[in-house]
Amino acid sequence: MEVFGLVLTYNHLLLTIPSIALAGFVMLGLDPFRLRDFEVRALALIGGVGPLIPMLVFANACFHGQCTGMVPIFTLKVGESTVALALQMDPLAALVGLTVCVIGAAVILFSVAYMQGTALPDLRRFFALMHLFLAGMLTMVLAGDSIVLFLGWELMGLCSYLLIAYNTTSAEAIRAGRKAFIMTRVADAFLLAALLLLFLEANSVRLDHLIPAGVAAQDGMRPIIAALLLGGAIGKSAQVPMHTWLPSAMAGPTPVSALLHSATMVAAGAVLLMRFSPIIQAEPVVMAIGAGLGALTAIFGAAAALFQQDIKRLLAYSSISQIGYMMLAIGVGAPEAAAAHFVVHAIFKSLLFLSAGHITHHSPRGTDIMAMRGASQRNPLAFLAFSAGAASLAGLPVITGGWWSKEAMLGAVWGVEPALWTVAVLAAVLTAAYATRAVLIAAMPDPGSHDGHADHDDSHDTGYTLVPLAFLGFGALLAGGLVEPIMHLLGAHVPHAPLFTILVASIAPLVGVAIAFALAYVPALANGLQRARDIARRTRRRPRRQDKPAGFWVRIALAFSRGLRIDTLYQIVFVWPFVKLVRWLNGYGRGVADPAGNLPAMAALRLQRAITAPFAPDWIDRTWTAFGGRILALWAALRRLQTGRARDHGLYMAAGTAGLLLLAWGLTWH
Amino acid sequence: MTEDSFTALMLLSTALFVVGLFGVLARRSILIQLLSLEVALAGPSLAFITAGARHADAGGQAMFVMILILAAAEVALGLALYLRLRRTADGTDSDSLSSLRH
Repeated sequence: MEVFGLVLTYNHLLLTIPSIALAGFVMLGLDPFRLRDFEVRALALIGGVGPLIPMLVFANACFHGQCTGMVPIFTLKVGESTVALALQMDPLAALVGLTVCVIGAAVILFSVAYMQGTALPDLRRFFALMHLFLAGMLTMVLAGDSIVLFLGWELMGLCSYLLIAYNTTSAEAIRAGRKAFIMTRVADAFLLAALLLLFLEANSVRLDHLIPAGVAAQDGMRPIIAALLLGGAIGKSAQVPMHTWLPSAMAGPTPVSALLHSATMVAAGAVLLMRFSPIIQAEPVVMAIGAGLGALTAIFGAAAALFQQDIKRLLAYSSISQIGYMMLAIGVGAPEAAAAHFVVHAIFKSLLFLSAGHITHHSPRGTDIMAMRGASQRNPLAFLAFSAGAASLAGLPVITGGWWSKEAMLGAVWGVEPALWTVAVLAAVLTAAYATRAVLIAAMPDPGSHDGHADHDDSHDTGYTLVPLAFLGFGALLAGGLVEPIMHLLGAHVPHAPLFTILVASIAPLVGVAIAFALAYVPALANGLQRARDIARRTRRRPRRQDKPAGFWVRIALAFSRGLRIDTLYQIVFVWPFVKLVRWLNGYGRGVADPAGNLPAMAALRLQRAITAPFAPDWIDRTWTAFGGRILALWAALRRLQTGRARDHGLYMAAGTAGLLLLAWGLTWH
Repeated sequence: MTEDSFTALMLLSTALFVVGLFGVLARRSILIQLLSLEVALAGPSLAFITAGARHADAGGQAMFVMILILAAAEVALGLALYLRLRRTADGTDSDSLSSLRH
């Protein structure tokens, strides 16, 4: 069939995958039919689960070796360049796209129940943005050219900002949204620069031309492109040193954290590097930097997560740490292992967020980790789900999905750099420790309720919440079976590591579990930790108050619970100087208002005082002095030109353009 | 296309643009200014089509389509702004909206 010169084939049905979610966004965003509460939620479900159906069909074909490959959508010839928009379905796109669709469907199913009782306009806004995010992410994953890829990438960033700041009455949420927006925008600038440089190399926007052209790039271009790609991925994936936006981003609703800020969007940086891995792999230095940063992030995130007082911040640091593992795997040249971990991580991390959100929903303590207490009695199913997710996160050997994918990555790391392997194993110990700590707290009886299961709150215990939790829970445990097929699909093999490394990597989570039990039940350690927590609580309210000097370990715990104060550092280094500059330019403090005008005037006055004032006044001097003195008046008069009225400025623009045209005419007059 | 009709059409397009520009600059009602902008946009469109016809190049008509889209987008944005402004300020007088000066 041919429409507008475009030959439509069966493969163009790929377009429906993001389009269904986009249609949901348009319907919910514009709301032409004045939908009622029930209809909004039904539509949310359709838009959220809909993309999964065509995705399943295409991904299934792809898994059986019949990928559709590049599907040209629209081609425009401009001069010598060709802008060819396309979607592509290759194994990586099928894998990541299917994961995104499944997690998106589960999270939206969950939020239909979770967001119950929200005011109708907010509900519409929430689901509209979730749909827009799904559309953006799927567009990015399926993109066959850099323009569509960047469009999807930016859409994700926009939705992330709008969803973090979803609660528009909370100043904290709006601040967190702005922070995420600005920091990821810096990274997006890197990505844009990389894509533009690739375009200059290839003279085409199609990824199948861009990537070989990038690999073949000469004149020192390739390291720049690879480094810029890495920079873009680091910002989006919240890796050290651009990680500070992710813990703050937890101000958004829990389903948003489950979908965007753990499972899919944050891991998009890793997906980007997998997509462009031929370019990255051609640059050993960039790879080494990526691996180093990944390992650093993995251990820093795990250490910070161990000391968090807020369950969502704990999970946020955990996401940072786990994506660090993916970066490490990409950095040692095993993007396939990273892809396997992407899938497994998406399953267990969204499960952890959803079950934690389910447990702490309507809790008076908010998302404080202590709100988890008593979950095993109050909400046994969610507790089981949380434990399954935590076991997978900890990587308990053999029985959990997390162990298999982590083992694949660790095996690849061992073959390249044993030092990084040691760091990664240490991070695995810490990972198991913080995951177990959260489960132990959830298993503690709740001191608030006196009889065992006093306020069993099952008002929202419906199929909407149980189906996703159960599905993801089984997924988190059984996904280990997926690791090998995934790596085969992407054309790689699970690396064969020496037996003792496998043993060490299997003992590491158990050591972590033991540490967590020790911290909870050995009195000396537990008391020390309690003291650090008390100090942290007190100083959070009154940060300037000096406490009596605490012990070394207490101080370590405090430092990590604040994320090593990297946020404060950035505030001092980047934010305050900028705010000060803006205030100075606006004339606050000792600043000069309107420096473009006032500084020349002040300089002229100085000149007049220094040179002409000492001489005896005669008429020449008086003219000079008058000139100096009039500068200010002249400037005031010129300022009056700026009326702020559209008409006047339109007139200036017209006059200026006319002047330029006259000039051009005069210059080209023969 | 003869030289005369080309000149005449170019003059007509200039006149259209000047009429529109005059409307934008002389009127104070936002709605009338938006209308005038549309008239002003008609000038370059006509010039593009004329030039395209003279050089037998489809690019002129392509630019016309682009100006159409531009105008539609501009009207959508302009009317949305107009509706918002009417709630906060006097929408009949664009001169009263000068708070950006400060």
